[in-house]
Amino acid sequence: MSDQQHTAQLSPIHAFLTTRPQTALSRLYTRPSACLAVFRLLDDVARQIVMSLLWLDSKTGVDLTAWVVPNEDSRKHYAAALQDLVRLHIAKEANGRILLLPAFQSGLRRALTGGGEHRSFGVPCPGARGKEVMATEQLDDYASERWESILHFMVSSGSSAGRVPPPSIAVIFLLRRSGLMVPIGAERHPESRITSKGFQFLLEDSHTQLWELLLQYLAMSEDQGRDLVEVIGFLFMLGSMQLGQEYSTENLSETQDVMLQDFLDYGLIYRRNPDDHTRFYPTRLATTLTSTSSLAFTSSKHEKAASSEGFIILETNYRVYAYTENPLQIAVLNLFVALHSRFENLVIGRLTRESIKAALANGITADQIISYLTVHAHPMMHKNNPVLPVTVQDQIRLWQLEKNRLKSENGYLYEDFNSQGDFDLVLNYAKQLDVVLWENREKRKMFVREDGHENVREFIRRRAES
Amino acid sequence: MSSPSHLSLILDLTPVPWDALSHSTPPLRLKDFLAQALVFINAHLALRNENSVSVFGALPGRSMILYPPAGSTQVEADENTFHVFGQVDEGFMRSVEQEVEDLQEVEEDVPPALVGALTKSLCYINRLSNPPPPSNPSEAPPPPPHSRILLFSVSPDASVAYIPFMNCIFSAQKLKVAIDVCKLDESEVIFLHQACHLTGGAFVPITQREALLQYLSMCFLSETETRKTLAVPTLDKVDFRAACFCHKEIVDIGYVCSVCLSIFCQPVLECSTCRTKFSPDTLLRFGNMNLNGHAHTHSNGTVTA
Amino acid sequence: MPPRRDADFNISDDSEPEDDELDEDYNASRTIRTKGKGKGKGKELGAYAWEASYKRSWDTVQEDEAGSLQAAVQDLVARSKRRRCACSWGDAPIRRTIIRHMMFLVDLSTAMMDRDMRPSRFDLTLSYAREFVSEWFDQNPLGQMGVVGMRNGVGERIGDMSGNPQDVLKCFLDKTLLEPAGEPSLQNSIEMARASMNHLPTHSSREILIIFGSLTTVDPGNLLDTVDACVRDQIRISIVALSAEMKVCRDMCERTGGVFGVALNEGHYKDLLFELVPPPADKSPVSRLAAQAGEGQSELMQMGFPTRLPATAPPSLCVCHSRLRSEGYICPRCNSKVCDVPTDCDICGLMIVSSPHLARSYHHLFPAPAYKAVLELDGKEASACHACSLPFPTTARAPLQTEEGMSPHGRYRCPKCKHDFDAECDLFVHDVLHVCPGCG
Repeated sequence: MSDQQHTAQLSPIHAFLTTRPQTALSRLYTRPSACLAVFRLLDDVARQIVMSLLWLDSKTGVDLTAWVVPNEDSRKHYAAALQDLVRLHIAKEANGRILLLPAFQSGLRRALTGGGEHRSFGVPCPGARGKEVMATEQLDDYASERWESILHFMVSSGSSAGRVPPPSIAVIFLLRRSGLMVPIGAERHPESRITSKGFQFLLEDSHTQLWELLLQYLAMSEDQGRDLVEVIGFLFMLGSMQLGQEYSTENLSETQDVMLQDFLDYGLIYRRNPDDHTRFYPTRLATTLTSTSSLAFTSSKHEKAASSEGFIILETNYRVYAYTENPLQIAVLNLFVALHSRFENLVIGRLTRESIKAALANGITADQIISYLTVHAHPMMHKNNPVLPVTVQDQIRLWQLEKNRLKSENGYLYEDFNSQGDFDLVLNYAKQLDVVLWENREKRKMFVREDGHENVREFIRRRAES
Repeated sequence: MSSPSHLSLILDLTPVPWDALSHSTPPLRLKDFLAQALVFINAHLALRNENSVSVFGALPGRSMILYPPAGSTQVEADENTFHVFGQVDEGFMRSVEQEVEDLQEVEEDVPPALVGALTKSLCYINRLSNPPPPSNPSEAPPPPPHSRILLFSVSPDASVAYIPFMNCIFSAQKLKVAIDVCKLDESEVIFLHQACHLTGGAFVPITQREALLQYLSMCFLSETETRKTLAVPTLDKVDFRAACFCHKEIVDIGYVCSVCLSIFCQPVLECSTCRTKFSPDTLLRFGNMNLNGHAHTHSNGTVTA
Repeated sequence: MPPRRDADFNISDDSEPEDDELDEDYNASRTIRTKGKGKGKGKELGAYAWEASYKRSWDTVQEDEAGSLQAAVQDLVARSKRRRCACSWGDAPIRRTIIRHMMFLVDLSTAMMDRDMRPSRFDLTLSYAREFVSEWFDQNPLGQMGVVGMRNGVGERIGDMSGNPQDVLKCFLDKTLLEPAGEPSLQNSIEMARASMNHLPTHSSREILIIFGSLTTVDPGNLLDTVDACVRDQIRISIVALSAEMKVCRDMCERTGGVFGVALNEGHYKDLLFELVPPPADKSPVSRLAAQAGEGQSELMQMGFPTRLPATAPPSLCVCHSRLRSEGYICPRCNSKVCDVPTDCDICGLMIVSSPHLARSYHHLFPAPAYKAVLELDGKEASACHACSLPFPTTARAPLQTEEGMSPHGRYRCPKCKHDFDAECDLFVHDVLHVCPGCG
């Protein structure tokens, strides 16, 4: 478990941030909400390191190594966490002494103590006070409807059945840009087709999906020459807003106004009055952006019962029972399950060699299928250990291996040797280099890997010369 | 990802020691302390979206919950404060002010109801870790949080509450709740030592009060999981003394009834708890030790006083 | 074959001819089937004890207006919880034997291979025994336990009397060493247990717990003589039988002041066993007899509460093993260092215990007062539970059946501090905490 944590990758947004120059990050860190969001998405140990240093005013930094539990695991964990902090320009290390960079330090301090005039947590709408607060259920429904329509559009584009009205042009543009979908035929063709990357995307949990798309959005914004600090800052501001509270656009920059319009399409924000551009509600999709667990996030009213808990029962006889009526989930299941009956709240299907092969052909891997089934397993399944029947797991993997029966490798065939002696000489040489892929002494033929070709050819030439 | 954590703060708000603290050097006034505690609470909530906090207060002879408040408080959103912090700060400060206002004539000799606050905190944590079954059976209850208790101590041990206090420690052990103790004054607290030692919590006497916030965020903020990597200061020397049942004195050598294990600071003829009569030979056996034993206890008492 | 006597057949009729056994079986199954149909004939047919006591859970549950069973089910759950605590908290006698010594006698005869309990009596016993030992040491931190196995007609010492739970648990870990064989011998085993408790001081309890699966015992002499000896030695014998009740076993328990029980099923087996975990109330005829005889069975002990040295302390030699170590406990009287507690100081002989060890058993002595169910409100009550601050239900739920100890408002009041608590906290306070949050 702990091993996993050390090797855990930085969250995607952090990875993105590390590619930014320090000046941009320093500018970002002037917003307390951004500091708080970046801080929240850090690893446990990194967070504690930041907290330990936060209130120190020392100019030379402190050495925290004495606090690390003396064992190999902890030291590794600590070093990894420290490295992340340095890469994010949160802290710097000199001679083993760690020091928080002033930009981040003052930003997070201000976030924790509150007050100031930075207005980075969003300006609440003055009119909303006193008025009844928007019901969170309504917001949830809206957000999930928007979000699922995007996903559903992706799924249905792969198959011919059940066309779904496409989302806005901007969304489709983003989907194409991120390589999740490609246009059918010509570049400007309005119809799109889902790619294998897109299929993999569908099997992720919604929190990961959202971030993946937002990262693409960030990259796109950069291409369009927008100020990334503004864009990221706004994302983090959304993440720190309160669900059910109406916010005003009064303090937003022009870039951020444009973003509001885009986020409306993703279901991140909601406008009660579509024509009133001065106020908006963040939805749960937005307010859970900086939460680390995806559990807090249920995207649909149908799903609320199912998705947080899981709805799939998989039996050892490859039968799949999915307690769901959500068209999106059924469509996703349809990617790798041969569905054959459908009831009010139940879909029955079977994992077959053909259905899995179809999924594999779409670029979905066996591990993704297994992890999807595991994550969404019905509570009853959790009584089993392991959750999924081993036979089925193995079979899915075997089906994947079946696909890879042939392995291709580029190389050169050597034949027509004059004598057995010559052949043996060359063969020995090639074997010393460990580049022989196949040999046949009787027919005096051998196959040499591409990277060994130069050497072997040179060797033969030298032999011929001498 | 590890599960969220719940932090339960227990504040000793007894006026007398706080008065003493605000006149000591360096001074620590209750107001400043509360402000720093608030920042600490914010820091805990900042760690994770799902983190939660509860605050309990102990006053002479009574204890109460300070946060979360009984009714829902509507706090106006503020563009310069994270909304979660705003709610906690508002609710917490309001109830502290309420309690301090309600405080009647200070009775000097009534010890703070730390045990009351501790038991309430444990009940609260018990409710969190065993949530009622959800109304919809197919809905998963959120994973129960890891809980820990942080106790701010400003007064010496009240040996009156020895048994209830020990019971609290054992319950905390059962609930796997660590009890951290932040000691703000210099008085002796052997029962709190035992609490930290038995539950695996941190014990930190604050030697430089002006750096309280630094102490708090360095020693008490880390979650149970993090403590496996970054250590927190635990106690080095634990005193396992107990309080006797007869005079509530803290003893290091006691006389124990074999039937019910009641502790007495001097040999007695009859156990006051279970009414067992002891044979006179036993008393004779302790006859000459009696003087030593008693003298020892007594000298001990004067040292601590 | 048509049934001879149909619905009015009464199985408890003693005059049933003995040679008609087959028919009786047939009719018995027949009656059950009739009952299953439930055509109003259940009453007169409920002659079997198990039929009479069988409550059909679906009869007691009623749907609410919305057709949901939820409230009813929760009510049932709450009630069963209440019932459980009501049994266990009665008015606890204040005299309990805290320092206990127990010999755990396990039947290892072939009768234990019976599979009437799943997976088998033997496997079940091993797993329960492990749970029992941990729980027992948790509640009796100063207790000691030894283990004796009964097989091949002799008593076999498996574990010596020890105060360390790990030592005792080890006895039940290796299944292959405990493989059941032959016949059990009660007399041999009890004699062995008795001999190993002979030297114990009079103030501690001496108990024998027997798990008995067989219906026979092979003894070299008169078992009743052994029982007499146990009565003399104030050894309390408790038996959990897995097969059936044997007169000699019941007598043995009654005469020595122990408990006898026959396990009906797996769950009941566990209940019977775990009833023996809390220290026994000191009201057995044996101890009363002893008290009358004026024997000084209880005495005052002198104990020292040590200071624990940390791992960072400068290393020094301990008096028990003469090893150089940092950790240790300092004897409060002579300041010598010992490795572990509880122990007797090797230098001054003082009994050194850590006070938490003692304190663990105090809740038996000073239990939290039992809360009374609040039946009627006078409008002045607090709106939330005094302990966890969760609000009480505002509408009283009419209980399906009025039952002792259930409050329709979900409120339970402490008789001392007059604060109200909800059912969940009531349970927690009395099961775990043992301190009333209002009084404390």
